[in-house]
Amino acid sequence: MSLFSFASIGNADVNFAGKTVTWVVPFKEGGGTSRFARFIQPFLKKYLPGNPDVQIMHIPGGGAIKGSNYFEKNAKADGTFIFGCSTSVIVNVATGNPLVKYNLSEYRPVVLLPQNTHWFTRSDLAEPHDLSKIKERKLVLYALKTPASADLFHIWIYEKLGIKGAKPIPGLSSSGGYQAFLRGEIHLSSHGAANYVKKVKPEIEKGKVVDLMTLGIIGADGSVSRNPLAPNAPTFPEMYEKVNGKKLEGDDLEAYYAIGAAWSQASKAMMLPAGASDEIVKAYRDAAIKMTNDPEFKAKAVKALGPFPLIIGEEAGEIIKKAAVFSDTTKKQLNAALKKHKFTYRVQ
Amino acid sequence: MEQLLAALFQLFEPTHLAFLFAGTLLGLIVGILPGMGGTSGLALVLPFVFTMEPSHALAMMIGVLAPTTTSDTFPAVLMGVPGTAGSQATVMDGFPLSKKGMAARALSAAFSASLLGGIFGAFILSISIYYAIPIIMAFGFGEQFLLVVLALLMVGALTGDNLFKGIASCFLGLIIGSIGTAPITGDPRYTFNTLYLLEGVPLVVVGLGLFAIPEIVGLLDAKGSIAKSLNTKKGWFTGLKDVVKNWFLVLRCSTLGCLVGALPGLGGTVVDWIAYSHLKQTTKDTSQFGKGDIRGVIAPESANNAKEGGALIPTLIFGIPGSGNKVLLLGGFVLIGIEPGLDMVTTNLDLTYLMIWSLAIANILGAGICMGFSSQISKFTLVPYYILAPVMVCLIFFATFNINRDWYDFIGLLSFGIIGITFKNFGWSRPALLIGFFLSSKVELLSYQTQAVYGLSFLSRPVSIILIILCLATIVLLTKQKFDSNYKSDLIKGKLTQIYYIVILLCLPLSMIWFTSSLDYRANLFPISLSVIALSLLVFILIIKIADLKNLSFLNNTFMKFARSNIFEISGNFNNQLFYYFSFIGFLLMNFIFGFPIAAAIFINIFILFHNRKAYVSSICISAVLMVILWLLSSLLTLQFPNGLIGLFIDLPWWLGGQLN
Repeated sequence: MSLFSFASIGNADVNFAGKTVTWVVPFKEGGGTSRFARFIQPFLKKYLPGNPDVQIMHIPGGGAIKGSNYFEKNAKADGTFIFGCSTSVIVNVATGNPLVKYNLSEYRPVVLLPQNTHWFTRSDLAEPHDLSKIKERKLVLYALKTPASADLFHIWIYEKLGIKGAKPIPGLSSSGGYQAFLRGEIHLSSHGAANYVKKVKPEIEKGKVVDLMTLGIIGADGSVSRNPLAPNAPTFPEMYEKVNGKKLEGDDLEAYYAIGAAWSQASKAMMLPAGASDEIVKAYRDAAIKMTNDPEFKAKAVKALGPFPLIIGEEAGEIIKKAAVFSDTTKKQLNAALKKHKFTYRVQ
Repeated sequence: MEQLLAALFQLFEPTHLAFLFAGTLLGLIVGILPGMGGTSGLALVLPFVFTMEPSHALAMMIGVLAPTTTSDTFPAVLMGVPGTAGSQATVMDGFPLSKKGMAARALSAAFSASLLGGIFGAFILSISIYYAIPIIMAFGFGEQFLLVVLALLMVGALTGDNLFKGIASCFLGLIIGSIGTAPITGDPRYTFNTLYLLEGVPLVVVGLGLFAIPEIVGLLDAKGSIAKSLNTKKGWFTGLKDVVKNWFLVLRCSTLGCLVGALPGLGGTVVDWIAYSHLKQTTKDTSQFGKGDIRGVIAPESANNAKEGGALIPTLIFGIPGSGNKVLLLGGFVLIGIEPGLDMVTTNLDLTYLMIWSLAIANILGAGICMGFSSQISKFTLVPYYILAPVMVCLIFFATFNINRDWYDFIGLLSFGIIGITFKNFGWSRPALLIGFFLSSKVELLSYQTQAVYGLSFLSRPVSIILIILCLATIVLLTKQKFDSNYKSDLIKGKLTQIYYIVILLCLPLSMIWFTSSLDYRANLFPISLSVIALSLLVFILIIKIADLKNLSFLNNTFMKFARSNIFEISGNFNNQLFYYFSFIGFLLMNFIFGFPIAAAIFINIFILFHNRKAYVSSICISAVLMVILWLLSSLLTLQFPNGLIGLFIDLPWWLGGQLN
C-alpha cells in the first residue's frame, strides 16, 4: 500500500489526460511482440495517470530495423511514445548490424517479459538430462534459422558443451525443425516455453522425447535457478560444470550472462525513448506494478505471456545494457564459434 | 470427429459467419470481374487479415477463394469472356447457349455443377487430412525437395502456351525470389544496399502487380465487350434437370478436378480443359460441342470448383501451393502465424476443419447467391469498365500500402505491373513466375537441408522414385493434349517487339550473376545456377523466335515444331495498354504530391470524366464514398496513409497526411 501512496505523490506533475500514447512495434501484427503489446495495452490505459489512449503502430520490415530506426527518429521523450522491443531488436544491436540507427542501451525500459529455452532429444539417442551419448556421435544435426539472429547462440552453447558432431541445418524455423526432429532427420531440438508445453511435453509423456537442459532463469543477483516447467532438467551452467568438470566462470560466464539477457530475460520489452525523464519512467513503472496486481491481469497473464514474472524497475535497465552491448571477449567467443562452423557472418 | 463438429459450430457463430459471408461476397465480385480471380481477390484482403483472429481470417480468405470459380460463369456465359482462368472451357459451350437464348439454363447448370464439385472437393480434403500424419512423416527433406521441383516443372510446363517459355518463366520467378538476404550466410543479394530489398519483394506486391494490373489495363483496352441484353429469366429448372441427368459426369469431373488440383503447383488454368477433353473423349455424339451442348458447361464447372479442395491438400500439409491463388493463401498463413505442415493436422486441426467447413459453406452460399440474385448480379457485367477500373486501382494501391506502410511498395507494384502486362501480351506464364518466386527460398533451403542430411542418396528412397515417375507421366500426358493445337505463325504481327523483349529479360540473370559473383559460394551458388539455366533457356527461345521470324528450315523436324508452337503470342493492343499503365504512374506521382486520400479522389474523377464527361455524378459520389471509407479505416486501424509533399506546407488532418499527434 505504501508503494501506491508514494507513487501518487511522485506523479503529481505527470498526467497524460487527453493525450494519445503511440506504441511502436517493429513487427507485423500477430507476432509475439504484437501480442505482448496488445495484451498490455488496456492495462496501460487503465493505470497511467490521466488514462491516455494507447494506440499500437506496427512498422514491420528489415528484420525489425525499420521500425526501430523509425522510433529513434520520431519518438518524443514526453511519454507519448513507447517501444516494443524483442530479442531480435536487441541482437541487431549486439551483433553490430550496420543498418541499426537506434541507441537501444540508452532507452529506459519499463517492463521486461522473460522467456526460457528448452533443449531435448529423442529417447533412443540419450538418457534424460545426459549428454554423454550425444557427445559420442559423429554427426549431431540441429536446426538454425540464420546465424544473423538469436539462433547464433545455439552454436556457442553446443560449442561450450563440447558436442563435436554438432552441425547446423540452415534455414529451419523452430517449428519446421521440430517437425524434422520428429521425422528423425535431426538429432537435437529446442523450443521456447509456450511451444514446449504445447508440443514437446506430450511427446515426453509418450516416452519418445527426453529433456536435456534449459537455459536457466537468471536472477537479479546473477544466480541461476531451474525452469519451473522442467524442474528436473539441469540448467546450462549445471550442464557446463558436469561436462567440463569446472564451474562456469570468467569469459564463458560473461558470455552466458549476455546471451541470457538478450535471449531470455529481455525476450520482450516495453521501453521509453532515451531522453525520457525520471518522473515519466516512474509513472510508467508504477502503472506496470499496478497492472501486475490487477485481478484480471493475474487471471490471464500466465496463458497470454507465459509462466515467468515480469521484470520491472532499475534492474531492467542493467539487463538491457548487458544484452545490447556485448563485450569484446563475448564477441570473440561468438565469432570463434561461427568461424569453426564455416559461417561467413561475423558479430561486429 | 468431435473436433470436426466443434469446428462447424464455431463457424456458425455470428462473427465467423459474417467474415465468411463478407469474403464470399468479395469472391463473387472478383469472380465476375473478367480477369480478376482468386489471386487478386486474396491479395486485396491479405493486408487486412493480420489484424483479425486466425479463425476469422481463415474463414474470410477461404470465403474469397471458394466462389470465384462459381461466379466467373456469368461473364463466360453472358459475354463469352472467362471471368477467371478456370472458366475458359466454359465459354466453349456456355456462350453459344446464351446466344441461343438459353443463358438461364447454362447458368443454373453451371452453378449447381459448381456447387456439387465444390462440396465434393471439401469432402475429399477432409478425408485426406485424416491420413495426413503418416504422409507428412514419410516426406523428409529429400522428398519435399523433389515435390517442390516437380511442382515447378509442372507449373512451368503446363501454364505457359509454350513449354520452354513456361519453364523459363519459372526460373525467372526463382531468380526474383532469391533477391534479399541469403539464408545460409546472411549476405545481402541483389539488394543494392537498400533496406527495402533485404527481406525480398513482398508477396502481395508481386501478386497484385502480376495479376490485377495487367487485367485492368487489358479490359480497359478491350472496352465494348459488354453483354447487350440479358435474358436470364427462363430455363432455371431445365439447367437443374440437366445436372441431375448427368450426375455421373459431375462425379467423374469432380474427381478429376480434385486429383489435378492436388498435384502441387498445377490446378487453376488447366483443370477446365482437362475436364472438357475428358468429356469429349467419353462421349459418342460430339457434334454439338462448341455449339451449345449443356454437358460442355457442366464438365468444366464441376471440375474447376472441385480443384479448390484438392489444391488445399499440398498447401496445408506441405506448404507447397496447389495453385496460383494458394500462394497468397500461404502468405496469409504467415501473417496470422500459422505454419503449414504437421501442426495443421495436430495442434491446429481445429483450424483445418474450420477451413474445410468454410469451403463447403462458402460454396453453398456462393451458388445460392448466384442463383437467387442472378438477374441483379448479371447487371454487374453492364457496369462500364472505366468506372470500375479507377476504383480498383485505388483499392490495389491501398492494399499495397498496407503491407509494409512503405512508399517503395508502390514502385514495386508498378514494376511488377509492367512485367505482368508484358508477360501477358507476349505469352509468358504469370502463374509460373509467381509460384517460382514464392518457392524460391524453399528450393534453396531444401537443397541445402537435403544435402546435409542425405547427400544424393535421397533419390533412391521409395517415395522419391514414385514422385519422379508420377511427375514425368503427368507432364508427358498433359503436354500431349495441350500442344496439339495448330500454331499459325503467319498471323502474328509485332514479332520484333517480342524478340527485343527477350533481350530485356536477359538482363535479369546477367545482372544477378554480375552482382552476386563476389559473394561467398554458399550465398551465390543458388542464384548463379538459376541464372545460368535461365540464360540458356532464354537464348534457346531467342534462337527459335528468330528462326521462326526468318522461317528457317531447321524448324521442320518434330522436336523443333514442338518448340516452335506458340513461340510468339498474338498480343492485344499493347500500346493502348501501355497508355493506361502510364496513367497509373501519373496516379503515383499525384500520391507523392497530395498524399494517398486526396490523390485517389482526384484520380477517380479525372479518369471517369476523361472517358465520359457526363458521368460526373458517379465520379463525385464514388470518390466521396472512398474518402469516407479511408477515414473510417484510418481511425479504426491507426493507419497513416502515404503523405504527400503538400502536408509540409498546409496543415492537414493526420489521416490526410498531416503531422503525427
